Amino acid sequence: MKLRLRRLTDLVLNHSSLVFLACILIYYGLQAPAFLSVESLGNIVKQSSFIGVAALGTTLVLMTAGIDLSVGAVMFLAPLVAGMAMKHLGIPVPAGFLVSVLTGALLGAINALFIVKLRVVPFIVTLATMFLFRGFGIWLTSSTQFDFSEDMRRFGLSSLFGIPTPIVIFALVAVLIYVLLNHTQFGRQIYALGNDREAARKAGLKTARIEAAVYVISGACAAISGFVMIAQIGRLDAGFGEGREFDVIAAAILGGASFFGGVGTAFGAVLGAILIQAAKLGLVFTGVNLYLQPVVLGMIIFLAVFADAVRTRRLTNKLKRTIRPLTRS
Amino acid sequence: MTAIRTKRSLAARAADVFLSDYFIFYLCIAFIIVLAPFLPVLIAPANAVNIMSNMWPLLIVAIGQTFVLAIGGIDLSQGAVMAVTAVIGAMLITLAVDPVTFMRTPLWGLILTEQGGPLAGVTGGVLLALVMMLLAAVLIGLFNGASVALFDLPPFMVTLVTMMTLSAFALWLTQSGNIANLPDDFTRLGRGDLVSVYFGAKEESQLARRQVYSFVTFPMVIALIMAFLAHIILNRTVFGARVLAIGMNRKAAVISGIPVRRIVIAVFVLSAVCAMIGGLLYSARLEAGRPTLGGGTFLLDVIAASVIGGTSLFGGKAKIIWTFFGVLFYVLMSSALSAMNLSAFQIDMVKGGIILGAALLDVFRTWLKRERLQ
Amino acid sequence: MNELLAVKNLSKAWFGVPANSNLSFSIAQGTVTGIIGQNGAGKSTLMGMLGGTVLPSGGEMFWRGQPYQPRDAADAIKAGIGFIHQELNLFTNLSVAENLYIDGFPRRMGLIDWKAITQRTREILARLDLDFDPMIQVGRLSPGERQLVEIARALHNEASLLIFDEPTTSLTPRETERLFATIDGLKAEGRTIIYISHILSDVQRLADRVIVLRDGKLVEQGPADQFTIPLMIRSMIGRDMGGLFPARSNKPQPDPILVAQNLTQPGVVEDVSLTIHKGEIVGLFGLMGSGRTELARILFGLDPFQSGRISIEGKSPEQGPRARIEAGMAFVTEERRAEGLMMDASIAENLTLVQLDGFGAGRLGILDRWSMVERTEQSRTELSIKAANIQEQPAKALSGGNQQKVVIGKWQIGNPRLFILDEPTRGVDVGAKFEIYSLVDKIAAEGGGVLMISSELDELLGMADRIVVMNRGEVTGEIAREQFDRERILAMAFREVIA
Repeated sequence: MKLRLRRLTDLVLNHSSLVFLACILIYYGLQAPAFLSVESLGNIVKQSSFIGVAALGTTLVLMTAGIDLSVGAVMFLAPLVAGMAMKHLGIPVPAGFLVSVLTGALLGAINALFIVKLRVVPFIVTLATMFLFRGFGIWLTSSTQFDFSEDMRRFGLSSLFGIPTPIVIFALVAVLIYVLLNHTQFGRQIYALGNDREAARKAGLKTARIEAAVYVISGACAAISGFVMIAQIGRLDAGFGEGREFDVIAAAILGGASFFGGVGTAFGAVLGAILIQAAKLGLVFTGVNLYLQPVVLGMIIFLAVFADAVRTRRLTNKLKRTIRPLTRS
Repeated sequence: MTAIRTKRSLAARAADVFLSDYFIFYLCIAFIIVLAPFLPVLIAPANAVNIMSNMWPLLIVAIGQTFVLAIGGIDLSQGAVMAVTAVIGAMLITLAVDPVTFMRTPLWGLILTEQGGPLAGVTGGVLLALVMMLLAAVLIGLFNGASVALFDLPPFMVTLVTMMTLSAFALWLTQSGNIANLPDDFTRLGRGDLVSVYFGAKEESQLARRQVYSFVTFPMVIALIMAFLAHIILNRTVFGARVLAIGMNRKAAVISGIPVRRIVIAVFVLSAVCAMIGGLLYSARLEAGRPTLGGGTFLLDVIAASVIGGTSLFGGKAKIIWTFFGVLFYVLMSSALSAMNLSAFQIDMVKGGIILGAALLDVFRTWLKRERLQ
Repeated sequence: MNELLAVKNLSKAWFGVPANSNLSFSIAQGTVTGIIGQNGAGKSTLMGMLGGTVLPSGGEMFWRGQPYQPRDAADAIKAGIGFIHQELNLFTNLSVAENLYIDGFPRRMGLIDWKAITQRTREILARLDLDFDPMIQVGRLSPGERQLVEIARALHNEASLLIFDEPTTSLTPRETERLFATIDGLKAEGRTIIYISHILSDVQRLADRVIVLRDGKLVEQGPADQFTIPLMIRSMIGRDMGGLFPARSNKPQPDPILVAQNLTQPGVVEDVSLTIHKGEIVGLFGLMGSGRTELARILFGLDPFQSGRISIEGKSPEQGPRARIEAGMAFVTEERRAEGLMMDASIAENLTLVQLDGFGAGRLGILDRWSMVERTEQSRTELSIKAANIQEQPAKALSGGNQQKVVIGKWQIGNPRLFILDEPTRGVDVGAKFEIYSLVDKIAAEGGGVLMISSELDELLGMADRIVVMNRGEVTGEIAREQFDRERILAMAFREVIA
């Protein structure tokens, strides 16, 4: 009986994010049944694509024990550059999307340059570029709101086979990152690098290239998420994406990534983002005071982090050599 | 032969300057000397006073952050602590509030009325409010510290959560309104001219108010005393040596019998209390309890200022004097930027550039030190 | 014989300080070459140059007769040189197969061909007589198994030269034997091996040729049968050692310092009783995973125990290391870098860490800098720590032996009466080992008790007054100095494993 209980807690702890998501869905579902309608669930996934796509990129960064604080600024700057290209060069939205992704990758490459070549701590580099990128963007717009063309909004509200484009893009990026992490050499090498950097170097891995690539991908992901979100709003103001890096990191951590590197999955990042969005939307559904929503959200994140710590502790206890069989005592 | 020798000693002397604790201070002086001819405003008394009044509260908050960085942690909740404690304090002592804004607050009728807070006009009310603010800060610090020390949660996530939760809580308490009409006893804390300086012709018997520059103020005295105490505590006491030891090697610290948990908790409490005092001085100067105090990029300013001084994000390497110069440099820079009439985005960009520059400098200094060891 | 690797006048200087000067030797295919030398003799620099991680500042290398100039680790792997490092370089979060293929997976349409790699891995594992699943996570293997996975990795890379750097430090005797058998097998296959170790008897057992390095120079080389162990030691340190161990200078006294009775912690230790007397060195021997270190951690209050009693000089201390330190205990752990020292702090800061309280004055605990300097300088003299300036120089700048002296010194400042030393000479070269043994003897001579844990039975036979043997968390035997018998002790340690 006791053993069974232990197994159950292990099961819950190992899938804490899923359990949290289930709890949130059930709780809000009981409070407001409309929350569980297909439309509302679809809405959750659609809105979580914003944080989710960026969280997928951040997961890679966290996997190398790095951090990317410039995500919010990239979300702002990359689509802005694309928007300007679309406005002044008259290129269509898909080309604009490409411009945005490339700009994001370029911004990520700037981070990578400082981190990999000049060996500055990622926290400081991305903190600095967070200011730099946003400042540059505001300079481009001369501190005014930037309006995108109607095409952009049409793209944001479009759907493919009845599935809204943001969800399609979210799913595509998630699958891409999943395949990258689990089925390519590069992906497995990211895990290796995060586990033991020195050993990776000795094994002949091109650690600098791997680490640089991770920040480039993170930049590209942030650019995609910014572009898709802006496509739904149709305009861009100076504060767009500000502070979002924290949401993104929280989603990745909820999804099982760790600040110490070496762990994390694409599925986890998706789950983390959906979890945060479900909690947010649930609060709206149940009519919780707007001011108190971050409080509840904060508590949910805290619980998830707490569950993760308990799980890690149990795991290390389990990995500690048990010298003798336990049953005899 | 001799030429080579002097050249070498010159390089060695340059390295000395780079590796000195005062390097950032030299940089500040160089900065002023270079910019003063182009920006005379920079050394005008009014600006000097302004720089200092900006510096003191930031310094106090950064001192708290330095301790947390010293154990290898990070405290993102400092800004939110400032907001919450400022709001709590202001609510208790405000003399009157605008019913239109505050009617919707959850505490309307309970604590807040049109006649202000419960301690309005009570003798010793301000002191009591300060005690309440301190209590709130200690509680928050205890929560952060206990989560990190007892449950091994990552400081980044814990304080991120406290930041989110507390800043929302502060906004909820006031429904985004600023609580004004604070008693004189309180606002004096933000000014308190102890020594004022007058620049001008001597023979005038009556002085226009704006020609008198408050030089020594309460915030200055408080900040300097705190900086001095913090310096003693971090670099000259058993407690400080233990803080740095934890930052350097936590496992070794545990085995060497250092009460790691207690010290980690104490450090987070210290950080929250420093934030509260910094917030108190800001609110006194602004003559209002603002729920948005410490919001935006304030916290990143605090961390950047500490790191510019030379404190390491990995723990074990921290000095209050570094933080002092880091804050001075940061404030000097911001004031120069606004004196140049730069807009917000340009300031942001330069800030980013400075942070990067400081980081590169640190890389260079570490390299220099290693070179010297060889 | 066929020459595989030749080195001519190879030199490396770090900022003008020579680490290797004018090394010349050649290694024939299919032989085992033992390289020995004290720490700092230049072994790691030489290995770095062979492995492509250190750039030579002079001289040449030839690989199969061709000039060989590796620029990074990948070049060395490509050439066919495989390293089996002292600290295992495996990725614990990946599977065995992934660890083998991490620097180049076979791919199908850009994606990893899982089927191919599991199959290939299974074949390689079979060659080493390993029967675990290629997809098992390395984190779940024992240290010995991991060592074999490292060898599998080198085999997978088709390495014709395998370089073993202190491979046995974390292995049990049984795993060591298995490793040696594997090395014999590799040699029989025609592979060439360089074996670096501080354990000279292992070198003697394995090597065909021996190369001795001292102060960056090659001082001796020749066929292994010309080298006896005393000769190896003499050429390594450049003088006669007069024995490996100092003579024990005192006899234990009758009164006990530490009495542990019936300690039990489920899954860790079972009914362990242990007494240490004043002036006594008790050796604790056991295989890896016998519960030696775990028992030490329990005794020192770092880990809990369910039942039993611990008393120090007649009193039961409270839980936690602080209370144990106050009761007069000291603990030198096996992980010097991770648990013993603050590598970036100065030597003096490390020395004062444990007794910081003692240097604090007043309620604020203001540190008395002057007495700290005085006391640490005294430690430096007592321990003969070789450093230019202990107040400034960081601990990481010291050699392994001197680092260990600092760890012992930081405890000595508090005048503890009971020392637990876990692997005190691991990674310490021969000369410094002797100094550490002398320190241990001195502690006992001054009336202190010592619990000395080691996996080198020789050092316990040399130093201990009594040896306690553990196996699977139980004490399986106890033997006094007069009855020391290598075979019996090993039998006690292996008891259940053999059965």
